[in-house]
Amino acid sequence: MHRSTTRLAAGLLVLGLGLAACGGSPTASDQSSEKGSNGAAEALFAEVGALSGQERRDALVAKAEKEGELTIYTSMTADIAASVVEAFEDTFDVKVSLYRAGSETVLQRVLQEQKAKFYGNDIVESNANEMFVLAKEGDLAEYVGERRELVPDAGKFEGWTASRFNLFSPSWNTDLIKGLGEPKSWEDLADPRFDGKLAMELGDYDWYLTLYGYWQKQGKSEAEIDKLFADMADGAKIVKGHTVQGELLSAGQFAVVASNYTYLVEKVKQKGAPVAYTPLVEPVIARPNGVGLMKTAAHPAAAMLFYDWLLEEGQQVLAENGITPSIAPAKDPLEGVEVIPVDIEKLLDENEKWAKKYEAVVQGGEQVKK
Amino acid sequence: MTTTAPPVLASAPERAIPPAPGRTARLLRVLIAPKTLIVAAVAGITGYLALVPLLYLFYGTFFDESGFTLGGFQRAYSANGIGQLISNSVLFAIGAAALSLVVGTALAYLNVRTDVSFKPLFFAASMIPLIIPGILYTVAWIFLASPDIGLLNKILEPVFGPGVFDVFTIWGMIWVEGLHLSPIVFLLMVAAFRSMDPSLEESALMSGATRWATFRKITVPLVRPAIVASILIMAVRSLESFEVPVLLGLQDGIYVFTSRIYFVLRSYPPDLAAAGALAGGLLVVAVLGVLLSSRVGKNSKSFQTVTGKGFRPRPMELGKWRPLAGVLIVGYFLMTVVAPLAVLLYTSLLKFYVAPSVEAVKTMGLDNYRELAGLSQAGTALKNSLILGLGTATLVMFLMAIAAWIVVRSKVRGRGVIDQLSFVPLVIPGLVLGLALSFVYLRSPVPIYGTIFILLIAYVTRYMPYGMRYVVTSMQQIGAELEESAQVCGASWWQTFRRVLLPLLTPGLLAGWVYILVVSFRELSSSILLYSPGNEVLSILIFEQFENGQFTVLAALGVVMVLTLVVLVIIAYKLGAKVGLKQD
Repeated sequence: MHRSTTRLAAGLLVLGLGLAACGGSPTASDQSSEKGSNGAAEALFAEVGALSGQERRDALVAKAEKEGELTIYTSMTADIAASVVEAFEDTFDVKVSLYRAGSETVLQRVLQEQKAKFYGNDIVESNANEMFVLAKEGDLAEYVGERRELVPDAGKFEGWTASRFNLFSPSWNTDLIKGLGEPKSWEDLADPRFDGKLAMELGDYDWYLTLYGYWQKQGKSEAEIDKLFADMADGAKIVKGHTVQGELLSAGQFAVVASNYTYLVEKVKQKGAPVAYTPLVEPVIARPNGVGLMKTAAHPAAAMLFYDWLLEEGQQVLAENGITPSIAPAKDPLEGVEVIPVDIEKLLDENEKWAKKYEAVVQGGEQVKK
Repeated sequence: MTTTAPPVLASAPERAIPPAPGRTARLLRVLIAPKTLIVAAVAGITGYLALVPLLYLFYGTFFDESGFTLGGFQRAYSANGIGQLISNSVLFAIGAAALSLVVGTALAYLNVRTDVSFKPLFFAASMIPLIIPGILYTVAWIFLASPDIGLLNKILEPVFGPGVFDVFTIWGMIWVEGLHLSPIVFLLMVAAFRSMDPSLEESALMSGATRWATFRKITVPLVRPAIVASILIMAVRSLESFEVPVLLGLQDGIYVFTSRIYFVLRSYPPDLAAAGALAGGLLVVAVLGVLLSSRVGKNSKSFQTVTGKGFRPRPMELGKWRPLAGVLIVGYFLMTVVAPLAVLLYTSLLKFYVAPSVEAVKTMGLDNYRELAGLSQAGTALKNSLILGLGTATLVMFLMAIAAWIVVRSKVRGRGVIDQLSFVPLVIPGLVLGLALSFVYLRSPVPIYGTIFILLIAYVTRYMPYGMRYVVTSMQQIGAELEESAQVCGASWWQTFRRVLLPLLTPGLLAGWVYILVVSFRELSSSILLYSPGNEVLSILIFEQFENGQFTVLAALGVVMVLTLVVLVIIAYKLGAKVGLKQD
């Protein structure tokens, strides 16, 4: 019996050593903080960044087609990502590999890969929060280009540029809203007439903190604002996920949704569902999604070409898919509408505070003490 | 229960002999004997697979930049209303586990041990809730039993008034989760009942016991290992389940544990410490459960129904109860399979969900299926999911058959550790598993990151606990005397294992295999981080359609998945029926 224990132990040890040799300790290189950088990529970004117009495009196309490949990590929804990639591949002789996941997952993946000095992607396109983190970590290269200058200030950040905006505005079921009256303002959502008929999303604290800040600027006191949100949450149905919200709205599970993305509602609406989000409740809250070059890009020219293209021809592709592009087209559908951007600095610096505060709101109005 | 080692390895008498010149050679021979190598390899792999994510989580839980910390526990357990959270979780877990246990066991018993009618329906009834992705199954129940739009409520309204059923309550949650989990119990119990010698029940009946008394006093005690295993898996599973608490509970503010894990992992950087602290609570439950289960199994002679005595499992006659049982089955089938599946099928034909009406029927079409066929990755994803599902199921069941042999049969000291280790992955959140694996394989010189193999490793790790429970349960029912006689006749360990034990284990192996095949089609939380372009799997496609807001396409995808897996499962059982215990 004793012998067999020894045998098993010996076997385990041999095997363990063998596997450890290929696996490595899970804590081994976590401390290394120096950033990987492919100097060549940054040199190219600087060199081409000095060019403009057709000269720049020609130079990039020649180099990019020589590279022949491009790997994009993005949190764009699959249907939109597919049309963007298709349009890009139709225009240039560059083969695109696309990794697509939720924005948090995209961030995790890039961070894990960068820490391990495995440079999987050339360019990343994701939500503002995640792009901010990547910029802060020093993973994104500087980009200079004339198209970036056309993006409004709310979409120009260090290390990345907004490519599109997601718009938050209330939406409603057109059958169920009859007799209730559409919401005309954000304050309207707190009205008792929507008790038991309003849906809120579990994780939309970016929307929450922006509206909160807006109301503060309007001169409302914190007590007043807390009361408004508490009244909204009172009797509200809490749903996880904007898609489910959209689907249940068209099915009639509730009459009004506080903070869905307008493009998702538009999609259901185009199929003929009884939903609407216009006239827009103002201010519309816009959350930027943006694009950034990786310092470690293995295909820097292709990455920069995609960046240029996404801010130029790509904007049209986004618009065709019902997305609000970051550079307003000549005929701006949002003309005259008050749009405010999500307060990203605050979102990042006070992330936990607002997440907790919003959690308390949706849990039934018990306010977090300050 | 005598010697299990083949004669060549029998070492007890030899120990007394003082070291002799030939000893090193003998030791070497023992070390390179196939049995030692295989057992050591399997033990090593099991340990390695379980420890990688466990150590990663452990490190993340107790250490941050500044060193050792217990902050995670404080953050995890200091949430608003933690008391309510725990009591909700416990009620939900116990309720769902109890419901699935009763339903799964009853169905398995009727199916295997009696001459009930409608046997083919069983199969569908027991497997389909498992195949439908959680999110679709849950939403289908919203469409059925929401007090506002539920179809069942609409149908019953004229008689009972509005809102008879309310799926957005803790009872609704228990109902949906319990039904969704019942297939795991069903599969475990089918395997257990298949390996049961009916002569024991027959003797009881002959001696004048009623059918119910026989069931209670003979049948149930004989399958106790399987029952304990079911309760264990169910309780942990429902403590971790995500879709049901999030979609049904939140709407009216019923919070459970998983909603917490979701919150702490969603933030940046993901609060591994808090997630680890929450998972720690689950781990305690799981460790106690495994200990309990091995205690129950210890008296294993009492459950050994497959022995040297020949027997043929023969169904019991239900007599006058037969029609009643038939009605129950049809009712169950209608409730758990036909209704949700019909809702899915109906939704998949629409452009957007509306309650059934003449106008709705007029707008029906196959657009969603056409869109599905047009998805460029659909073919690749189906192929990858098939490869991964078949590969994972086969690997897990093979590895765990040997691991279970170590735990149940061998006398190796510390074998209980393997039992515990194989169960560990059950409490590790999928995202943490993904992070741990990418951490290790990004640094591995063997190029596994970015290939389909990393998904295979993830899946094998995730489903190891189920495989182990299926095999251990079955093995506890098989008497050691059959293997012993093989060895007495001179068969090697490997021959005995392959030609005697494996065939006897077939019902359990097959059940576990089918289960893993089916659930690996649904694995998302670690796949999403680990897949690479070209390695997409079906669950990722589902997630994308979901994110796109294409609920109706998603329903179509669900229907296609159900059909694919039903075909696979039928083939598996047709093939499996040719091996192992024969039934009349």
